[in-house]
Amino acid sequence: MEGWLTRIATNTCLNMLRSAKRRPESAVADLTEDETAWLGQQTSSVGYQPRSVEDTLIAADLADRVLDVLPAEDQLALLMIDGEDASVKEVAEATGWSESKVKVRAFRARKKLREAMEKLLNKGRKSQVGGPVTHES
Amino acid sequence: MKVNHIIEILDSTSLKNLSAEQLKIVQIHIRDCMSCESAYQAAKISSRLIKQRAQTTVEPSPFFQTRVMAAWRERQAIENTPVLSRLWKSAGALVSSMAVTTAALAALSFVIPAPISTSADETTAAYSAESVLLGQTPDDQMSYDQVLSTIYVDGDEGK
Repeated sequence: MEGWLTRIATNTCLNMLRSAKRRPESAVADLTEDETAWLGQQTSSVGYQPRSVEDTLIAADLADRVLDVLPAEDQLALLMIDGEDASVKEVAEATGWSESKVKVRAFRARKKLREAMEKLLNKGRKSQVGGPVTHES
Repeated sequence: MKVNHIIEILDSTSLKNLSAEQLKIVQIHIRDCMSCESAYQAAKISSRLIKQRAQTTVEPSPFFQTRVMAAWRERQAIENTPVLSRLWKSAGALVSSMAVTTAALAALSFVIPAPISTSADETTAAYSAESVLLGQTPDDQMSYDQVLSTIYVDGDEGK
């Protein structure tokens, strides 16, 4: 009964995520000044701890924007495994996918997220060296 | 060590789940490799962002409960429907079309009589390779008596 309800709720969430309009990848490059500053802080600090509520909000907003790059299924797998420390088996039970599919989705999501983040960091570094950030259309 | 190997380690699992040995390999490698250092930084920040995102409590939309309950009712309705009814729903059109085709074929085979053929027709309808080559129609064929007379005349001439 519990598993059944979990799966229904998970699938409903997935459908809602899918139907929500996804931003194109280029939109991720349009960072606000706060977000650029936050990223700069991350690269310089060794052991990061969120300093204020504002910091947490900036991070959450940035996370939303970066995660929008991923398909709904990949987002779900990554947030459950890396964010909520769920096991692959638990995700498989909640979604009805096979364990190998969960692993593949998480791997793909991690890779895509890392690549998007690398682009952002490189852009941030360039803007620090070469002046103001030029937003892509 | 290959550059790809470090990146594979970074993507294979969450950073916090890396073993001490894997972490050591990564740390040693990124001292000399700029691209891997950049990838490691990106993976670290991504991991933090995901943690932050997971900690944020999201209020479900007002339609969420409605949608879950609708899905629940739909699922229950499917569970309560008899198996034969479900089968008919999914394969009814196919089964109906097959039945109609079978009935049509049966009607064509048994109800409509086939034309009666006589042995005479079969003889006239027969074509030999020779007649086809010489452009002869079956009507040109000799009767039995003609054949006999031709043979015996030829036989007499031989004598």
